[in-house]
Amino acid sequence: MAAKVEPITGRYIYVPYEGEEYRIYYEENGQGLPLVCLHTAGTDGREWRHQLCDPDITKNFRVIAFDLPRHGKSIPPRNFYKEEDEHKLTSKFYSEFTMAFCKALDLKKPVIMGSSMGGNICLPLALDFENEVKALIAIECCDYSPGWWIDPLWHPHIHGGEACAQSVFGLMAPQSPAHYRWETWWFYAQGGPGVFKADLYFYSVDHDFRELCSKISGKVPIYMMTGAYDFACTPEMTKQTAEKTKNAEAIIMEGIGHFPMSENPDVFKKYLMPLLERILKL
Amino acid sequence: MAQLNKQWVEKWAKKVNEDKVLKVIGKFFTANFVIGMDEKDYLIKVREGKIEMVTDEITPNMMGWQFALRAPTASWSKFVEPTPPPMYNDIWAMAHPLHGRLKIEGDTKIFWQNLRALAWMLDVMRQV
Repeated sequence: MAAKVEPITGRYIYVPYEGEEYRIYYEENGQGLPLVCLHTAGTDGREWRHQLCDPDITKNFRVIAFDLPRHGKSIPPRNFYKEEDEHKLTSKFYSEFTMAFCKALDLKKPVIMGSSMGGNICLPLALDFENEVKALIAIECCDYSPGWWIDPLWHPHIHGGEACAQSVFGLMAPQSPAHYRWETWWFYAQGGPGVFKADLYFYSVDHDFRELCSKISGKVPIYMMTGAYDFACTPEMTKQTAEKTKNAEAIIMEGIGHFPMSENPDVFKKYLMPLLERILKL
Repeated sequence: MAQLNKQWVEKWAKKVNEDKVLKVIGKFFTANFVIGMDEKDYLIKVREGKIEMVTDEITPNMMGWQFALRAPTASWSKFVEPTPPPMYNDIWAMAHPLHGRLKIEGDTKIFWQNLRALAWMLDVMRQV
């Protein structure tokens, strides 16, 4: 009997950015419109494994998921061990690096889909890179998401893997299959020291679009999808953000939480497919 | 809806001590903590993942507690539902600054150190 093998291909690409050459791991499958998937804070592209393997998606989209530097299989910059300030992900680095990755792969006007911090970064992408992206699928996205840049997530007396993973566990809906929730927990438990907290600096501090949403022109459609069980970015927060952002709409997903793509891919797909159909017609 | 009283807390403690996973993930969970429901405090004495004692009559001989989880009984009632509603399915969800439905007091480092086993232990409440 033939072995069961997934159609995902994983490769490394060197992405130049501000004098550093980052060795970046990415996975891809499919053909057509590039759909670049951004993982959540402190984890990596494995969160997108279901969508990468879904023929309904990959028949029209080249689905690509990359690991940010310091995440998954993407190594940190070479001098990370002697940084004199605590590492913090910034909106500038995150948005510009995402576009540098797209440029390195020579992607023409990709669709970008991200969740959590990957959802929030869609707002800076809409503001600063409107000519370089076709559409944005901003999952669990809002203009301001405070309360997560906290020391217990990187403390030598606390098991970082378990504490980070457990801190996000309740963001998932109890209806989501337990094995997928615990798989997401596992991804979190494997993050590098301080990486989740560093990402949450972006998520809860540097990302503040409360006054900036109104500056987004509306040239690029933004689909804001949020799960009912998300307590970090509640449906209400997403609705309020969409209301004040041109060409944005809020889609609230019932019975699912903050990690739709990995905690319950079947429910997520029901909400995602109609949007992908619409994007193909843009 | 469950009546959250001393009898209920004792039933929960019994179920916790029957749990087979806690024997593994709770091996190093040794602490005294308080579950506060409205004005009522229950001291939970945990030793290596097992609940040795539950009491609502806290005396000096118990030498205090490390952390407390205090919330209105109305919040706990939602938390313990078999399928809890959004924003009530997790203690960190309830305690998050955006929501403030539960307070984590005392030595929060002990709380974070034991969060995996503690969360599992509290999840057992849904079986009571």
